[in-house]
Amino acid sequence: MQIELRKPEFVMRLDRLGSFHQSKLSFLRSFIREFKDWEFETKELELDENGFGHCVYVVTKDNKQYSLVCFSNELDDSERSDRVIATKWDASFVLFDGIPSDQDINRLKANVPLQEQGRVTEKELCLSRANKSVRVFEHVVDRLAQGKQPDTDILYNVGYLYRTTAVYGSGKFGLADRIKIQDRGELKGPFRLEMMLVFLARQFTFDMVNHVAHQRSPQNAVKLNDDIARNLGIGNSTGLGMAPFIVNHPALLNQWIISKEKALLAIRSIPNTSQKEKEKFQSYLSTIKENIKFWKTDSEYQIKKNLHLTNDLEKFQNYFGKLDIEKFFWNTVYEWAEINTQAECCELIVSLLMEVYPEIVEPLSYEMSIDEEDYFDFDTSRSIGDVCALIEKRYAWLVEIDFEKKDNIFNFWYYSKNKQEPRMSDRFSEDGAERELPLAIARDINKLYLELKNYPKKDPLSSYLIKNQEYRHILRRIFICEKLPYSEIQDNTISKSLIPVDMLRLKLSFFGATRFDPRSDRWVRITMYQGAPLMKEIHQSDDTWSYKKIA
Amino acid sequence: MHSLYEIETVVKRVARYQGLSWGIAEEAGKTVRALEQSALPGLERFDRLISFPYSKCVREINHKEKNQKYLCPIHFGLFFLDQSHKPDNQLTFQFSNILEPLLIIPFLIKAAQKNLISFDFKSNEFKFFIGSGKIISLDTNKIPHQSNDITLEISNQRIKQYSDETWDRLYNMSLETFVEENEEKKLLGAGAGLTDND
Repeated sequence: MQIELRKPEFVMRLDRLGSFHQSKLSFLRSFIREFKDWEFETKELELDENGFGHCVYVVTKDNKQYSLVCFSNELDDSERSDRVIATKWDASFVLFDGIPSDQDINRLKANVPLQEQGRVTEKELCLSRANKSVRVFEHVVDRLAQGKQPDTDILYNVGYLYRTTAVYGSGKFGLADRIKIQDRGELKGPFRLEMMLVFLARQFTFDMVNHVAHQRSPQNAVKLNDDIARNLGIGNSTGLGMAPFIVNHPALLNQWIISKEKALLAIRSIPNTSQKEKEKFQSYLSTIKENIKFWKTDSEYQIKKNLHLTNDLEKFQNYFGKLDIEKFFWNTVYEWAEINTQAECCELIVSLLMEVYPEIVEPLSYEMSIDEEDYFDFDTSRSIGDVCALIEKRYAWLVEIDFEKKDNIFNFWYYSKNKQEPRMSDRFSEDGAERELPLAIARDINKLYLELKNYPKKDPLSSYLIKNQEYRHILRRIFICEKLPYSEIQDNTISKSLIPVDMLRLKLSFFGATRFDPRSDRWVRITMYQGAPLMKEIHQSDDTWSYKKIA
Repeated sequence: MHSLYEIETVVKRVARYQGLSWGIAEEAGKTVRALEQSALPGLERFDRLISFPYSKCVREINHKEKNQKYLCPIHFGLFFLDQSHKPDNQLTFQFSNILEPLLIIPFLIKAAQKNLISFDFKSNEFKFFIGSGKIISLDTNKIPHQSNDITLEISNQRIKQYSDETWDRLYNMSLETFVEENEEKKLLGAGAGLTDND
């Protein structure tokens, strides 16, 4: 049987991309797989009785070392804000390349708590900050100080003790450029350092509650039970600033999506399935049905999606439970899901399928990076007719859109001076459209296409470029899409009907986030590493932790 | 010091602010980044370029017009990057004046590598040659802020940089890694014993 990759015009629609779930390809899981045989150590825990001070965690293998330096500062409740414009946080983190000297720690102490307002150097790799979930933090410390474990109902409703609000890397604020680390074997996967930072920061949150509880009551205090701790992740609030990333990095996006599609294709192409494999899939399915109950959200949009998911999973369970194993069993299962369930459920089933076949999926996680520089220049000797044909082939979905209509150009993306991040606004009622960021891809490709139609087909593109450079950035991505067909979101990112949270969800699912809790159509709270092994047990991880029951 | 990412991003945004299209602004960011990565003063030269002021720079390159002055090096470099795929054997262009010629170099390096051509840049103040390889050298003390009476020669002929004697000596030495076959083995190779006139 010849089974093909799902087509880009099916996969790359935003409602499907915005329904992706974490999987074996997710970066926080591939981080744990890559680093499970490294040594993790708490090197310094210099905290006062209130938990203020600094800690250092070191990750080592052979002669390679990375250190997370954490600073914990006093923060008045009135100053606590998850917004990117905040200037103070309960905790701030920096991932250091090697082991920091005392001099380094002093330098970092003066800069890292300031985050965007401070400066770091090329010795540092990633920067982040986090705020306490005050209610949960206080509850946990209070109970531990009394010699009791916390109430897991309260804990698991939130899912974490601290929430990060940004994780910066790749040269921002003076951090090391990616070029410095890109050839290191252990970092051959996207966002691996960012994932390391968050994993170690999670350990810091546990050490913090244990320390403060002990300081409050040295005689009575107990440590947070490992089973409870393991089911806590680290939270994250993410807004529009993250959305343009997937538009600005088309080659990278292709690598993420094609890896998933290759995995699905390979699984659908397996001719013979064993009963054991079917049972394995069923066990993951049963667990996730239970864990979904802990996905809390007030967002009507997500409540509706979760409800559809729950109903679709029931429907799927009825179908799957009665299904006998036949040739190309998983292809039959997938095709049924594609036809009979909505994207949210269908993509969850794709993620579950990947769990059954680590030998197929895990090697693909090494194909998810790409040198984007290789795709920057394009061939100007290509004919204009070639370029038009390419647009008709790869961008057929946008050729017919009427960009004179207000709803189709309703929004514009801009870089906020105050928030130092990309934002989106209504072009017709708000100022700033003249400073629009180049994220109106569909509109600009459409304009370029209509313009090129006026030039002789046989002329080389270089002739057009002599006097026309307005769409150079667009030409670049058209040639990327020719080689990498999963590089482009096939939806209009400036239309009135755009749901930006879908763009966030796409990226966060590849990070490995769970418990999507959109707080509006523009920002979302999620949890990372919930259920993951603790730092001291990482070497025992068999990468099945994502599908362990939370409670 | 700022990271290369910061340098590229700031230059891209400034170029956009100066009225360049996003595509050219991206090229400007990459060019300055490449120069800084090579320990050349790309950012300073870019700053001087836009302070000229940039509105006075000529951005439309007309390669047939000898008297063009105050040419923008970004547009100049981009012109040759875009246009040098054309298969003419040898071309010579003349221009009157170009600003901050350092900024054209990353474009010409890319054009040379992509099309296997060379650029021979000569002006009153400054000369450089770029072949299709990856190594170039510049006397960084001699890079002017403007170059006048420029001749740019493009060639797709590699220039031989060594003598025949050097080649013969090295070639003969390379033969020392080969094994001499005896007469019997020579008769067993491909085609041995057959007539090649069939």
